[in-house]
Amino acid sequence: MKTKILTFLLFAFTTSLFVTNPFSAQAQNDPWTPQQLLAPADLAKVLNNPKAPQPIVYSIGMQAIVKGSVDIGPTMRAENLNTLKDKLSKLPKSSQIVVYCGCCPFSRCPNVRPAMALLKSMQFTNYKLLNLPQNVKVDWIDKGYPMSE
Amino acid sequence: MKIVALAFALLFMSLWSTTLSAQPTGLELGNKSPEIKLSTTKGDTIPLSALKGKMVLIDFWGTWCAPCVEEQSELARLYKKYKLASFTNGKGFEIYGVALEAKKLNWENFIAKNKITWIQVSDLKFWRSPVAKAYNIRELPFNVLIDGKGVILAKNLHGKDLEKEIGKYLRK
Repeated sequence: MKTKILTFLLFAFTTSLFVTNPFSAQAQNDPWTPQQLLAPADLAKVLNNPKAPQPIVYSIGMQAIVKGSVDIGPTMRAENLNTLKDKLSKLPKSSQIVVYCGCCPFSRCPNVRPAMALLKSMQFTNYKLLNLPQNVKVDWIDKGYPMSE
Repeated sequence: MKIVALAFALLFMSLWSTTLSAQPTGLELGNKSPEIKLSTTKGDTIPLSALKGKMVLIDFWGTWCAPCVEEQSELARLYKKYKLASFTNGKGFEIYGVALEAKKLNWENFIAKNKITWIQVSDLKFWRSPVAKAYNIRELPFNVLIDGKGVILAKNLHGKDLEKEIGKYLRK
């Protein structure tokens, strides 16, 4: 009887993990770790300080909005992913790299996963995904962070 | 004394009529919707105010937004059904599609491929569009239903809820 109760409790606990916390389940499949998410405020601080070492920022979505970012285009398309691959192949593996899309929340974004998977497969060691949980308007533009001309 | 009373009555009536005719511009239900002046794919400017007299759905969307793309077939159905309908607060139904797009080619191709016949405008500024700011858009899809006077009747209704709202104003 005790074993049955214990099995039931274990089952209920495991199920509740997936039901109540969809993000942890989602994160298991995403090609990035929580530590690789870069807070917009942190990037803005670096971009606003010309003396700070500047990362290479790639826009992998519709438009390069973040100041100084390189427009790759949506990496859901093979030709844009290849463009990114070409650019990355010329960089040292330890380069400080940031990628962002910002069209929509990560759960719906078709661009962040191919780009982050590419960086992982190319064995870069110092790359981040700009954490824009809603989109680039709400989490960057509306906050007054630096934008491209 | 009678003259003073008459003057007050006239002043009161004038203030009252001003209040009735000029809803404040804003984003709340009952407000007059902010003006939008953007270009079509051909470069013609069509202001939202040019649609005065019609019931209008302002549809904010983008070709990169999956739920927006999915919704286009439903909008086509509504457009066909209500385009020539008479409403208690407008004659005819129009859709004013505002694309938060970055590349003209993507936008043009989508319109052609999906045979969209309602008004489509964009400034090709994606999330930097001043219209996204003016309408305080936080995510897509987003829409606003306005009456023949440009007054906001509903916001962000989709599917059955949207059709139900449009149906409320049909002239029987």
